Amino acid sequence: MKVVGARIPRYDGVAHVTGRTTYVDDVRVPGTLWVKALRSPHHHAGITKLDTSKAEAMDGVHAVITWQDVPLLVYGHLSALGIPADEPLLAKDDARYMGQPIALVAAENEDLAAEAVSRIDVEFEERPALTDVRQAFDAGAPEAHHEGNWYKHFEDEMDRRQIRKGDIEWAFDNADTIVQGVYRPAAIEHCPVETQVCQVVPEPSGRLTIYSCTQALYFSMGVVAAHLQVPLNKLKVVGGTTGGGFGGKNDTATETVCSLLAMKSGRPVKWRWTREEEFLCSSTRAPWHMEIADAVTKDGWILGRKMLTLHDAGAYSRFSPYGVTKHSFHHTGAYTIPNLQFDGYVVYTNRVPTTSMRGFGVTSISFAVETHMSRVADVLGIDPYEIRLKNANRIGDTSPNGIVYTDPSTVSTIQVIAESTGHELPAEYRTMTNEPREGEWRPEHLVAQVGNPEEH
Amino acid sequence: MNLTVNGTRHEIESPLLTPLLDVLREELGITGAKAGCHQGGCGACTVLIDGEPRRSCLMPVGYADGGEITTVEGLGTPDDLSRIQQAFIHHYAAQCGYCTSGMLLAGQAYIDRGGTGDEEAIQTALGGHVCRCTGYSKIVEAVAAAARGDSFDVTETAVGKHTTMATGGAE
Repeated sequence: MKVVGARIPRYDGVAHVTGRTTYVDDVRVPGTLWVKALRSPHHHAGITKLDTSKAEAMDGVHAVITWQDVPLLVYGHLSALGIPADEPLLAKDDARYMGQPIALVAAENEDLAAEAVSRIDVEFEERPALTDVRQAFDAGAPEAHHEGNWYKHFEDEMDRRQIRKGDIEWAFDNADTIVQGVYRPAAIEHCPVETQVCQVVPEPSGRLTIYSCTQALYFSMGVVAAHLQVPLNKLKVVGGTTGGGFGGKNDTATETVCSLLAMKSGRPVKWRWTREEEFLCSSTRAPWHMEIADAVTKDGWILGRKMLTLHDAGAYSRFSPYGVTKHSFHHTGAYTIPNLQFDGYVVYTNRVPTTSMRGFGVTSISFAVETHMSRVADVLGIDPYEIRLKNANRIGDTSPNGIVYTDPSTVSTIQVIAESTGHELPAEYRTMTNEPREGEWRPEHLVAQVGNPEEH
Repeated sequence: MNLTVNGTRHEIESPLLTPLLDVLREELGITGAKAGCHQGGCGACTVLIDGEPRRSCLMPVGYADGGEITTVEGLGTPDDLSRIQQAFIHHYAAQCGYCTSGMLLAGQAYIDRGGTGDEEAIQTALGGHVCRCTGYSKIVEAVAAAARGDSFDVTETAVGKHTTMATGGAE
C-alpha cells in the first residue's frame, strides 16, 4: 500500500500556487465574444412580447438567441434516467423564477453585450408568485409550475416518494408518548469563488470545443448534445478544473447557450457570470420543510416514525426527485426504527431551482434526525448517547428501503464520540458492538424486522 | 501609461479607468489574478503594487501607472518555488486554488512587513480574502510557517498524519 495512509501532496498543488492552473476564465482565445443575459426581473410572469431586433441591429453584436434558436427547448437534468423534462433552456411564454434566462447576446465586449440586452424589447404580465412550500397545497395557491405545485412522476406516477414499513398504527397505539418536531433548514448559495463560466470555440471541423467548469463533464456533455440535437462526437468538452463547485456546478448552467451562440455567430464566445448573477440566479441548496412524529417508549425505544418532507425544488424539477429519494432512504438516520410512514414531496415554488450540495438530500435529513434524537432523549430524560446506542443500526437490521446492514458503524462511532468528549457511558453501552441483536437489545418490536445478512 | 509586471515593462493601451485586473488579464494575458466578484469583496484579484496588496478589480489602471506590479506568477516558478508557495503546498492550503493567488500575495506582503507567526495578526492580514474550500485554518497555518522561516518538504503534506482511534481505528 503506497498511498493509503501516506501524506501525498496535491497533484495540482504546484500549479495552484504558481498561477499556472488554467481555469475556464484563463483560457485565451483570440476574437472571443462576450455574453450577457436578459433575465426575468419577476418571480412569476407571462412573457407577452419579446423582440430582439434592436439588439441584433447594433454594431458589434454578433448573435442574439431566444427560445426559437434552441433545437430541443425542453430537456431535463434527469431526462436520461426517464424523469420527464420540464425546464425550457430559455423561457418561452412563462418566466417562473426571478433570474430565469430569456435571451442572450454575444458581442465584442461585455459592456456592449449588456447594452444590447437593455435594448431587447420585452414585456411581462406579472402573476402571483408561490414562495413558501407550506402554501403549495392550499386551495387558491398560485400555480408555480405548469403541472401543478408538486412533482407527480415517482414510480407508478405517484405524486410523492412514499415509504411504508412495518405496522405504523401498532407503533403509535403502543407508544408511551409521541415526540414531534419540525425542522426547516434554509436555502444556501454554494458561493464558489469562481462564478459560472464557459468558453466555447467553434472549430473548422464543425465540432465545438467547450471549456467548462462543470463538476459533471459527461453529464453536461449529454445535456448540451440533447438541446442542440447533435451527436456526442460533435462536442469536445474540456473540464476537470473547477474553481469551487460544492454541487452547484452539477447543473449545466452555461455550456448550452454558449454553444448556440458560438454556432450562430461562428465566433468563440465566453460567458462569465457576475457575482450578483451567481447569488440571484444560480441554483442553491434547497430549503427543506420536515415534520417528524416519533412513537417512543419510556425506556427509550423508538417504535415508529411518521414523517412528512416538503422539498423546495424551486421552479423546475432538475435533480430534486433524486434528492428526495435519497432523503427518504436515510430518514431514520443511523438508527433502526421498524415501523415507518414517510411521505416526501418535490414541491415547486417560484424560486430559483435548487440542486445538489454536499450530501444532496441527506444533509437535511441528518440535521433533522440528529436534532430529533436529542429532542426525544430530552423529553424522556434519557442520556442522548444512550438513546442513540440503544436504537443504533446493528448487523441484520434493515434500512427504511429494506437494505440489510452487514457492517453498520453507528455503535463504534457513538462510542468514539463519547470517549473523545469525555462522556461516561455505562458498561452495557461501552461494551456494545454491532453484532446482531439479542437479549435485551432485541425487544419484541424489533424481532420481526431483523434480516439475515448472509443472504445479502 | 506603463506597468512593470513581475519585472517586465509593458506599455499599456487600455483606457485610464480600465480596472487593473482587466488590463492584466485581457490586455497582457497574465491570468494569475482572478475575477471572483469584481466588487472588491473577495480578494481573489489581489496583486502587489510597489509591495502593497491591492484589489486589482477596483484599481483603475491609471492609478497604477509606472508602478511595479507583482502577481502570483512573479512569486516563484514551479522549478523555483518561494517559501510561501512551498508552505501552501506542504500545509494543503490550496484546494480549488481560485483564491490562492490572492492569499499568497497578501501573505507575502504580511511577511515582507515583518509579520510573525501570530495567528491573530495573520487573520487580520488576510481579512477580506474569501476561501470557500479550506475553512481558512490551513491557509493561516501556511502563512505562519512561512513567516517563521520554516523549510518544507513539498513531496509530503503536513495534514493527513495518521492517527489511531482508541476504538476500531485502522493501523
